[in-house]
Amino acid sequence: MMNATTISSSDLSGLAADLLAARVRVAGPARASDGTVEYRHAGAPAELVLDSGVPRRSLKEFFLPPTEPLFAWRTGAGGRVELLEAPLPADPAVVIGARPCDAAGIEALDKVMGWDYRDEPWFARREATTIVSLACAGFDRSCMCTSVGLAPDTTKGSDLLLVPIGGGAFRAEVVTAKGARLVAAYPARFRPASGEAEAEAFRKAAREKVAASAPPAADPLRPWLDAHFDHPLWREASLRCHGCGACAAVCPTCHCFDIVDEPETVGTGVRRRNWDTCQTPRFTIHASGHNPKNDQPARIRQRVLHKIVIYPKKFGEMLCTGCGRCSRACPGGMDLPEVLARIAALAGGAQ
Amino acid sequence: MTELRELAKKLLAEGAAKVVIGWEEGPRGVRPAFATDAAAADRLVFDARCAHDLAPYLDRRRVHVAKLGRPAVVVKPCDARAVAGLIRETQVKREDVVLVGVRCGGVLADPEAGGTLSADTIADRCRTCDSRETALADHVVGTPVEPLAAPSRRDARVAELDAMTPAQRWAFWQGELARCTRCNACRQVCPLCYCDRCMADKTQPQWIESSPHGRGNLSWHLLRAIHLAGRCVDCGECERACPSGIPLGLITRKVASVVADRFGHKPGDDPAVPSPIGTWRSDDPQEFIL
Repeated sequence: MMNATTISSSDLSGLAADLLAARVRVAGPARASDGTVEYRHAGAPAELVLDSGVPRRSLKEFFLPPTEPLFAWRTGAGGRVELLEAPLPADPAVVIGARPCDAAGIEALDKVMGWDYRDEPWFARREATTIVSLACAGFDRSCMCTSVGLAPDTTKGSDLLLVPIGGGAFRAEVVTAKGARLVAAYPARFRPASGEAEAEAFRKAAREKVAASAPPAADPLRPWLDAHFDHPLWREASLRCHGCGACAAVCPTCHCFDIVDEPETVGTGVRRRNWDTCQTPRFTIHASGHNPKNDQPARIRQRVLHKIVIYPKKFGEMLCTGCGRCSRACPGGMDLPEVLARIAALAGGAQ
Repeated sequence: MTELRELAKKLLAEGAAKVVIGWEEGPRGVRPAFATDAAAADRLVFDARCAHDLAPYLDRRRVHVAKLGRPAVVVKPCDARAVAGLIRETQVKREDVVLVGVRCGGVLADPEAGGTLSADTIADRCRTCDSRETALADHVVGTPVEPLAAPSRRDARVAELDAMTPAQRWAFWQGELARCTRCNACRQVCPLCYCDRCMADKTQPQWIESSPHGRGNLSWHLLRAIHLAGRCVDCGECERACPSGIPLGLITRKVASVVADRFGHKPGDDPAVPSPIGTWRSDDPQEFIL
């Protein structure tokens, strides 16, 4: 499915207005109270600020919120415990202006969310949400989508991909049936396809820009990583790590969660799942007190290996979309592109 | 810069330190560096981009850093106050660390963007810092600097919040704290948050709900504010590290002003001066105890 259409900036704004009028939730890059752009639900089309840099956190929180109730409990007569399931989130929503790397992260996560157990809240939100991405021109030197098999114009995870063709217009490529339904539902907002050459030129320039500063491809590093589990690299790379988990909080693919039971009143409470991160000692500590990942080098290695080796082996795709947020967020100045370049140099030397 | 590098090389060569913890150029501006040889010492830098407080690397739980051996740490005056806090609270022994003080005229509000230090670009916390060099140092490097006269936007914001009604203030903080995902970055980068087991990590009983909902986030940030009362050295790391952009400096600044007002105390770089939370005097104000 690769037919295309065209939409102008004003029609894109109009589409957002149409959706809001139809009581569809609209989300996209918008300014927070401190002026920083983050993905937010928009109350009006004017709140959306497209292509204004990489939003502070990724898109994943629209599908896996930082905290989410799973069910409530209530102790009734005779001490009988009653469980009240949290309703499945099914409000229709459209994301407008997602970064392609963020959309790709959502699709990568579908694998783990639908593997041995189908995660109902995740897929309820996935099915209710249409993702309209905006092809990226390449943002800064921490971008490395081209190193993980993606590109600034990747369609992975998007239902519709907008590519700037100049004059404030976008060529809209229909990627999925869901994307086609969105176009079909609001025909007045779309025009016949145009600007193929302009779109292609934009995509080519963006790919070249990112590739120019991105580290070597991560895929070929797997054999070296498999063979060098205890390499001193991990100790050196993690010296400056604070174990703070900011990287995981902003990551489009870090999806680990903790499950907690929180009493609300006597006899009632809520079971919730909350974001968690492998970067803290608490993540892996056993009831016995033993901690298999007892220092930061082991935790940094875990994060990198999970993304580049473990997840790809199990699910056939990389658990990193190269968005660069971990590098931008790290208060200690850790840099994943630098670590990968270092591994590539070591792997090259070893062959 | 040459003075700092030469000193670092001398400390390493003479065995006074096995690692000099300072700053170096990284892929996104300067970042913490761990120099264990002369070549790495030659890469050390110090300028207004060096916002990172390096005192947290003295935390005993960072075993992989401790394994490098006896550290020398480059400290700005605020970082020296953090080290003083660690010594005061028996986390670090003065004789176990070499302190290299750098003369500091403040750091940039946006260190990654770089540029020169001016009344416009200086970090808010540096506008109210009156310390240009620390007495808690074995060596002091750099040229003497004059403070920049710049009004504190943060103090102005604190005053605005003080002037709000409780309902307005509540709404403001509910809005800001709603962005918190409890990633713990504020805690992990804080030089004075060294507890082996943070109260927020305890589950039996669970004093602080770990969920990032309004109740849990408010409990966490209140707990942190109170535990840092009279201890926070205003190094600004919590606010810098927060990946959600929560203005944590407003909280620490407000609490610091309350401690200054009620206890006449401001955390300094003399480890011998006790902190209000770590001591008791019969004339301590207690009219706020219900």
